Amino acid sequence: MHSKRWMTWLAVGLVAAVVVGSGCKKKTAGSGLGEGDIGGLKGLNIGEGGLGTRPDLNATEIAGQFAAVYFDYDSAQVRDTERAKVEAVAAGLKKSTSGGVIVEGHCDERGSAEYNLSLGERRAMAVRAYLQSLGVDAARIQTKSFGKEKPVALGHDEESWGKNRRAEFVLFK
Amino acid sequence: MRENFQSLENPVFGFPMLGTLKGLMTRKILLMVLALGLCGAQAQVRVVKGGATKAGIDWSRLVASGAAPSEFKRVLEDDLIRSGWFTPAAPGAEFSLVGTAQESGQLTAQIQLFSASQQRWLLSKQYTVAGTAARSLAHRVADDILAAIGRKGMFSGRIVMVGTRSGAKELYVCDMDGGNLQQITSDRSICLAPRWSPDGQRITYTSYLKRWPDVYLIDLASRSRRVLASYSGLNSGGAISPDGSLVALALSKDGSPNLYVRGLGGGAPVRLTTETRAAIASPSWSPDGSHIVYTSDQASTAHPQLYMISRSGGAPKRLTTRGSQNVAPNWGANGLIAYASLLGKFQICVLDPNTLDSKMVSPGDGASYEDPCWAPDGRHIVCSRTQNYRSTIYLLDTLGDPPVAFAQLSGDWYSPSVTAK
Repeated sequence: MHSKRWMTWLAVGLVAAVVVGSGCKKKTAGSGLGEGDIGGLKGLNIGEGGLGTRPDLNATEIAGQFAAVYFDYDSAQVRDTERAKVEAVAAGLKKSTSGGVIVEGHCDERGSAEYNLSLGERRAMAVRAYLQSLGVDAARIQTKSFGKEKPVALGHDEESWGKNRRAEFVLFK
Repeated sequence: MRENFQSLENPVFGFPMLGTLKGLMTRKILLMVLALGLCGAQAQVRVVKGGATKAGIDWSRLVASGAAPSEFKRVLEDDLIRSGWFTPAAPGAEFSLVGTAQESGQLTAQIQLFSASQQRWLLSKQYTVAGTAARSLAHRVADDILAAIGRKGMFSGRIVMVGTRSGAKELYVCDMDGGNLQQITSDRSICLAPRWSPDGQRITYTSYLKRWPDVYLIDLASRSRRVLASYSGLNSGGAISPDGSLVALALSKDGSPNLYVRGLGGGAPVRLTTETRAAIASPSWSPDGSHIVYTSDQASTAHPQLYMISRSGGAPKRLTTRGSQNVAPNWGANGLIAYASLLGKFQICVLDPNTLDSKMVSPGDGASYEDPCWAPDGRHIVCSRTQNYRSTIYLLDTLGDPPVAFAQLSGDWYSPSVTAK
């Protein structure tokens, strides 16, 4: 009995060490996309390469096909945990060569309206850069910031703010 | 950083002010104690009388008869109190306002201002306007009275701001006391960040009228509108230079939000900042048009701070270090930059770009003060004040009088901009 309990504690300790270790790793600088060196972008920074032409005003727009990507406060980094959502969009876009995607950048309610417009645009552009790195033609990706003007959650707490700091995908044909 | 503002020539820094950063804590406690004894935010900001020097004025011998003349007199008295330079007084005061206001088809006002210490008339003028123009005449006379005592007025100014009372964010204009409110846009979209042109005839703003964030220019007299910037990505900013020839814009067309300058009439935008990993926003011109102040989160902290750059580009200079966020700069004709600083709540601060000395001018009363814009008198600042998630427009006094609400406005109001004159 005594030795079995000892073995259990050792196992718990090992699991805890692994969890703590991987937790710390996520905090290292440069993980996530948008701020540090962006892996997989072949040296391409956000901010390099101009935007193409906006889609026609009469273009058909389809929202809600893909999950929103969420961001940390005052940050335009695509978190590691959010990457798969962008990868799903890239895969979807690659199935066809026509049309494209509008990446909408949004912010929480805190801070100046104008700064949030620019921050939302940076979030959209961070997602755009990752889509590009996954092989999506840059000309098919438009960015549109709504700043803090279109919240999806109307509370005044972190739970709502976290839902509002997001990038959404709207497909256009 | 130094806390000594006495060396500055600008009068704004020459007076003991409500809430320097150093004095913030004691002021906060004082205001909290006052607030405990009062009911409601209105009373809280009106009862406390600040330390700015005032002269007594006796207006008992300004006689108004009839509806329009009475309105004229009431608005004039409110303006004179709101100017911060006067306090109502009994006969024998330093200043006496004497005259008549009468209506007979037109509104005629005979106005004289007497100084007891100088033993002479400082103003003697007759005004005749349409009977419907009582308010605007009162504002004009208030500014003439201020000029007669050697002070700059602000009551001929106009405010443009964002209002939500229609259900959408639209632009509205009003007088410096909140009166004469008019809705300017009916875009049924999202209107943001309005700014006056230097001549006060036109307004720039960002709107999603055509589904994308574009910058528009409205001519107020004709209500005609044209697009100033509709490049791919984000178009915002839209600050017209003091000489009226250029417009400063925040554009993302080249891949990241950066600061650009372009001729107001057209031409290719010239990029001033070269950030690839920053959110740049909120341009405002220096009074001589040589520099632009703006917000950027380019520093490693990734929180927005104020920077200034020459209108021909070059290396930007960082202006702020205190406060986790410093946003929404407005460079006044007095040379000082008003901005919102996140110090727990957002507070309005004033910064001298030459010395980088700054001080807080909002009261630290638990509300959030944002989006400042200098009034034409160079003493007051118009801003938004948010408490309990309701936002309205307030007049702040940099010489220490308590903030005044634009009380007659119902609904939520944001982003005020004031004309230069």
